Order: sequence, then C-alpha cells, then structure tokens
Amino acid sequence: MFQNKEMKPSELFEQVYETASYTESVLHAHLELFYDEGLKLSKESDRRYIKSESLGLLDGIPIAIKDNINIYGYKTTCSSKMLSNYVSPYDATVISSLKKAGIIFTGKTNLDEFAMGSSTENSAYGPTKNPWNPDYVPGGSSGGSAAVVSAGSAVASLGSDTGGSIRQPASFCGVVGFKPTYGTVSRYGLIAFASSLDQIGPITNTVDDTRIIFNEIQGYDSKDATSITPEYLKLDNKKVKVGILKEFMQEGVSEESQNEVNKVVSLLQEKGHEVTEISLPLTEMALSVYYLIAPAECSANLSRFDGVRFGIREAASTSYEMMNKTRSVGFGEEVKKRILLGTYALSAGYFDEYYGRALKVRSKIISDFKDAFEKVDFILSPTTPTPAFAFGEKTKNPLEMYLSDLCTIPANLAGLPAISIPTGLSKNALPLSVQIMGKPCSDYSVIDFAESIEEMVEFNYSANLLEENNES
Amino acid sequence: MNLKATIGMETHVELDTESKMFCSCEVIESEEPNISVCPTCLGLPGALPVPNKTAIEYIVMLSLGTNCNITNEGMFHRKNYFYPDLPKNYQISQFDFPVGINGSLEIVLDEELHSVEIERVHMEEDTGKSVHEGSGRIDSAISTLLDFNRSGIPLVEVVTKPVISTSKMAVAYIEELRQLVIELGISKGKLEKGNLRFDANISVADENSNELGTKVEIKNMNSLKSLEKAIDYEIMRQSKQVEKGESVIQETRHWDENKQVTISMRTKEGSADYRYFSDPDLPNMIIDQEFIKNSKKKIQNLPTDKRKTLKESGLSLSDSNYLDKGEKWLYDLYLSTVENTKDSKSTFNFLTGELQGQMRKAEIDKLPEWVDSEKLANLINLFETNEVSFTSAKDILAKLLGEDIDPKSYASEKNLIQSSDDEEIRALVTSVVKDNQDIVERLEDPDDKLVGFLVGQVMKSSEIKVNPGTVKEVLLKELFG
Repeated sequence: MFQNKEMKPSELFEQVYETASYTESVLHAHLELFYDEGLKLSKESDRRYIKSESLGLLDGIPIAIKDNINIYGYKTTCSSKMLSNYVSPYDATVISSLKKAGIIFTGKTNLDEFAMGSSTENSAYGPTKNPWNPDYVPGGSSGGSAAVVSAGSAVASLGSDTGGSIRQPASFCGVVGFKPTYGTVSRYGLIAFASSLDQIGPITNTVDDTRIIFNEIQGYDSKDATSITPEYLKLDNKKVKVGILKEFMQEGVSEESQNEVNKVVSLLQEKGHEVTEISLPLTEMALSVYYLIAPAECSANLSRFDGVRFGIREAASTSYEMMNKTRSVGFGEEVKKRILLGTYALSAGYFDEYYGRALKVRSKIISDFKDAFEKVDFILSPTTPTPAFAFGEKTKNPLEMYLSDLCTIPANLAGLPAISIPTGLSKNALPLSVQIMGKPCSDYSVIDFAESIEEMVEFNYSANLLEENNES
Repeated sequence: MNLKATIGMETHVELDTESKMFCSCEVIESEEPNISVCPTCLGLPGALPVPNKTAIEYIVMLSLGTNCNITNEGMFHRKNYFYPDLPKNYQISQFDFPVGINGSLEIVLDEELHSVEIERVHMEEDTGKSVHEGSGRIDSAISTLLDFNRSGIPLVEVVTKPVISTSKMAVAYIEELRQLVIELGISKGKLEKGNLRFDANISVADENSNELGTKVEIKNMNSLKSLEKAIDYEIMRQSKQVEKGESVIQETRHWDENKQVTISMRTKEGSADYRYFSDPDLPNMIIDQEFIKNSKKKIQNLPTDKRKTLKESGLSLSDSNYLDKGEKWLYDLYLSTVENTKDSKSTFNFLTGELQGQMRKAEIDKLPEWVDSEKLANLINLFETNEVSFTSAKDILAKLLGEDIDPKSYASEKNLIQSSDDEEIRALVTSVVKDNQDIVERLEDPDDKLVGFLVGQVMKSSEIKVNPGTVKEVLLKELFG
C-alpha cells in the first residue's frame, strides 16, 4: 500500500485518527491517543518511503497498545486508579521491536483493571463498548485493543492473554486474536497479572496481519528469563488431522458457538482434512486450576503497588498505614478479590490443598495435551461459549463471567499457541469465532492453518457502528 | 538442674559480584543514594529478573567449600512480606530446593577441631536500605528515606544445624566462615561493612533433656564482639528464667550495644507466613555436573588446607588457626621463612609478635620490598643460635624495616655478635666473682635475685657481646658446683 504509493503513512494515520475521533466518543476504547507524536512519526515514515528507505512491512502502520504494556514517556495505567499518574521510564521489549520496525502508536487501549476480567467492565476509567452493538461488552481483558481494530481506529493492536484476554475479546468483536506459545514473545515491560500464563499477542483484521506482527515481536529476549529461543515446527498444512474437543461441544457451550465449529468441520472435510473427536477430561478442571494459579501469582505480582516508589499515595501517619490505605483506594473490587483469593490459596495450611494441587493438575493437563498432539495436528473448538453478552449481564455473577474463558484457558495453562478467527454471526448479529490450538512452537503452522480457514469461511461482515457512521 | 545452651547460626554473606543478582546494575559502595538502580531492582511495573550466573557459581563454590550436597535442580521462590525497602514486597529467595544441603565446616576452638553441621546454603537478593528520621525505628519515625543501591545485591544465607554450644564456638564458626568466603574470593568478608550479617537462634534446656528449649532469635549482628556478648547475655537471661520455672517466650530480639542487653523486637506467634511459592519469572536453574566441575576448579587452598600445611610445619593447632585467619601475606611469609629456620614456633612468634608489632608501630601495612623471607630467616637463625641476643635481633629488625641491610653483616659491623665461648666467659666470671666477694657471700641459693646482678656485671665487664644464658650457666657452676 505504502510501497506502491497508494497512500502515505501520514494519510493513513490521519484517516485512523479521524475514525477514532467519532468512534471513541461511543466506544471509549482508547484511554489515551498519541496524535501529535503519531503524526510526526508518520511524516518521518512518509519520507522514508519517498527515499525508498522503508524499515519494512510495518513501517508507518498505526497500531494501538493495551495499557498494561510500557511505552517510554507515556502513562501505563493498567486501567487502575493505582497507576493513574504512572509514567513508564522504559520501553517494553515488544515496544522496542515495533519502534525499530517503524510502527506508529495510536495510543493506549482500555482493559479490565490489571487485565483481570472478561468484559472491560472492571476498568477504573469506565467500560469499552462493543463496536458491533454498544449495548454489549467487547470482551476482556483486552477489550479496548479488540474494539479499536474492529472499529478501525487502529490498523491492529497488541493485547495480553492470561486466560483468553486476547482471543475472547477478538471473538466478541469479530477480529483475529492470537496468543503465541509461552516464551516466544518477551514479557519484559508487560505489567504482570499471572507470570506463568501471561503472553503478549496481536489483534488484527486478518490472519496475515497477525503473522506480520507476530513475526516482529517474537524471539528470545535476554531480559526475560522465561523467554525461549523458538524452534518453530513447520507442518505441511495440505492434509492435516484436526481434533474436535468433546468437552467444549457439550452443555455449557451454546448451540450457536458449537454450530460455528460444525460449519468449519464441514468445510475442512470438503478439503479432505481428517477430523476426529478427541477427549481431554481434565480440561473441565482447567477453569478451577486457573482460578487458583492466576490469583496466587497475582497476589505476589501486585504487591509492588504500595505507594512507596510510584503510583498514587494515600496520606497516613505510618508507612504500613500508608501502604494499606493506598492499596484499599487504588485497587478495584475484582483486583482485591483475586489478591485475597491468591493470598488464601498460598497460605500455610492451605497451600497443598489449593495451589499445590492446582500445579499438579496443570502438569497433568500439559501432558494430556502432549498426548493429544501425538494424534492430531490442531485442536478446533469455539473461542467462547457464547457471543458477546450485554453490559451488567454477568457482573452480578462472577462465576458466570469466569465461564466465558472456559475454552481459552487450557492453552494458557499448557503454554500452547492459539488463535481465534471470526467465522459467523449470532442471531443477535454479533460475531462468533472458532479457536485453533497447536502444539508448542507450532505458531506459524497455526497461523497458516487459520488463514486457510479464513479463506474458506469468507467472513465479510464488519461492525455496525462503523457502517452507521459511514452512512451518516 | 544443669542447663545447656543450643545455638544455631544464620549468616548472610554479601557476594562480591560485579553486578546485582537479577539485573545488570553495578554493585557499588556509595554514600549517594539511588544511583545504581534500574526498573528491575526498583520493582517497577513490568520489569523482570534474570539470574546472575557468576552469583550462582559463587554459591556453588561456597556449598562445595562447606561440604554440602549440591541440588542439581535449584529453584527460586518468592518470600512474601511487606516492607518499604523491599521493592516488590516479596524477596526472591530459595525454599525447599536450596543450592547446598547437609554440609559441615571444620572450626578450631583452642587446641581442638570441631565440625559444625551446615543445614543449608541458599541464595537470595538483598533489600534496599531504610533511614528512619527522627527515630531509629520505622514505627516511630517522622519520615523514612529509602536507598535502593543495595537492593538486589546477591546474598548467600548459610544456616547451621542447632549444634553450637557456646558463644566462643559461635565466634570461631563465624571467623571460619568469613575466612572461607575470603579464600574462595566470593565476598570481601568485611564485617564492619556488613558483608557478613548474622542471626543467632538460642535456646536453653536441661542438659539431660533430648529436647531443645524455646528458641529466641537475635537478629542482624555484624561484629564478633557483639555476637559473643549477646549470646552470653541471652544464655544468662534464659537460664535465669528456666531456673525460676518461668517459660521462655519465642521471640526476636536485638542486641543493644549501649545497654549491653538484648531487647525484644517482636513476638513470633507461631511462625510468620511468608507464602513461599516458586517464582514463575524464573525457570528452574539446572546445576549440572559440568557447572559443578568448573566451579570446583576455581576453589584452591581452603582454610582447612592451609591449616593442615601450617600444622605440618610444626605449629600447634591454635597457632595454625591464627595464621590461617590472618592476612594472606603473613601466611605466605611464614611458610617461606620457616623453610630456612629450625624452629617453627619461634619463627611464628617472631613474625606474628615482633614483625607485626614493629610494623604496626611504624604504621606500615606492607613489608618494604627488600625484606624477604631469606633475610628474616637469617635474622631468626641469628638469635636462635644465640649469635645475637633477642634484644639485638629486635634492633636489627627495626633497622631492616627502614633500610636494606644484611642482618648478619650488620650484626658484625655493630658488634652485636655475642660470644658463647666457655673459656672466654669463665675467665670473665672468675674475675667478677673475685671483685664482688661481699655479694657472693650473701648468696643463698641459685634462684637468688643477686645472681642476675652478677650476670649483669659479667656482661658489662666484657668488651664483646656474650650470651647471658651461657654466663649464668657458668656462674652457677662456679658458685654452687
């Protein structure tokens, strides 16, 4: 597009910014827009293209960043009151990589506070709306990042995925969301929720865009001890074996969601791929395991927010009282709930019963997946049990809210690459998706396979909000 | 009822690495606060720890030096507690998979060797430093200043089993451990700088009982004198309570240097719940045989080996231990000097007494380049063979420290060579006895003080230096037969 001079980066940036100027008032997907710097950088990019010195495919592309990833000199709030005044003094490794590639940041996007939630209703700065229907949630926690891509106020975005926080909102907003293999993308500079589960990944309009961005952000980083030097598996995708996970095609998952999987299965079979049903009984325990491991890790990860060195500080007469008050005022309800849950699970006398047992089941889930991938190349399932739900529908019942991550959590527990791609619409005209999981380090194969499904299903719808506004 | 004390030591050793444990910040000694800090050691949001390989090598060396078994798959845990100078409000430490377990350290107490059993050797990161203004304590301070230069410096904690029975033994243990880390080159080992900080767990019980009494922990000491006094005080305090039939409260105390007493800091209600769990930011560290082999290669001449060499030279255990714990140059000097002298004890005495004493007086901490073991051996041999008196030897040494002389030539030149020729001396004695008949008559037995007077007269009457020992011998023979 830029290479053959159809458009200049600064023109694209202006166009994206103009879209943002009318979508943001409805959606509240960006927490902050970097207009001035973005325009300046996109003009620099213009000049590089004129001089044929472009930095690559991503040079001049406007991308939004979830507000739990640090960009030097900008606020990183994690949608929390705690960090309302926190300006990062350093770049996350993914940000450095994208800067080198010439990417322009549109701004920071909204999320559930500290990435804890499935609807962005837990943001201290107010929820983000779903571009397909503002009465519905965009999903979460990367709700802002999914909404901006869906609404066109950014070409793509980065999110983070701990239990489905990229794939679930991507599904709710009808865009592509990819959680890479654990360790392939550096977590340095991502504000941790649950360190053993968190992974940064792209949210895009097309699978090809996902490939391009993943390619730029992946790779070993010496600043992250859990980072790996990936040796990617390259599968021949002409004839693959696909497993349908029985446990996600039964009660608890809506018929609509199951139908999307069945639709894709028929398309795959037409192309001669082999589809079999598989069963991983322990995935039914994944949700419980997740809600012990993630809160346990977060209870320690969030200890550093104490008002001592950064963030807000509540006045008090002793340092302990100050820390106490700051945390009481700075954290929202869901965050406090998870810290308490995790603290309890790690307490002496309860450790073995809760956290210890969760770790054991987790390692069993990992080995079950390993066995399953001896028989199949990919595992296909719905991304979410239902399409997007309405605001307030699940805030009263946290367990129901947690269930919206039912199908996405296992990939985090096992560290697997998993992608969500839109395949159809629900009867309420809300997007529905399928998820493809692959074995560790088969990221590019998962992407290639998803791309072939993308071609088969021809999902050509776009968000209503955008259409209505375009008509006016 | 006879009481016995049982002591276990926990010692933090600050490692002498170039960079911190989990980030690349330089380890510095600085009065200026917060100049060697980064997102990781400040615990900023999103920053991650990456282990320092040299620090792991050092802890493996210390584990080997304390005869521990090495855990091949070590693990870092998070120890959760809130404190303003702990940036993440958890400390990265080790819990159930420490690097070293079940070791021992050989120590010297008077003329005896003891073995102190080591329970574990594990690694952790240091905290920042709090300066409480308006009061020494956080709960009553007006404000607290924080310095994170120290935050993240690698520490090794060495924990003994409860096998120490006296304050002297505890001191000997710390001295040995300190020497070990210096010899290994893994820590500066400076107590006054807090490179070693120790906690003592002390309990008192009936000596016939197999069970230990209630344990009291004295925290955060860095001087041997305080350690000895604090333990003695605490044993006395607890013994009094036990004798009165009162129960000792399990608590943490600290040693008050001004009041010379231990003071209660906080009562432990059961044990604090640190909610240890393995740090998900740090994958298990694999310490394989190759790594252990390479660490082993860097270990040479441990204090026990040095002590053995010294003992083989003929020194007693306590003298060997003295040199072992002293400065390296003195140890080297002793070994090269004793090769050319006849008596190891007098060589030891001359070097550690005279030489060190004179150097201290002259305020020099390094031997002048011309003073080598050969010259010192020559000098020691001069008085050992009675060619010069000990007094002359001291004078020659003083001269030698100031300028390049040959001890023997200097002694001849200055007429310091003393005669041990019996004939010559007998003639002098005969003449002195004759001149002092009044005194000779008053002599009652060989131990009489007046014998010394007569020896002095003989020495004075001589033109040349004579050996006073020989003079006395000849004189007594003449007088008492």
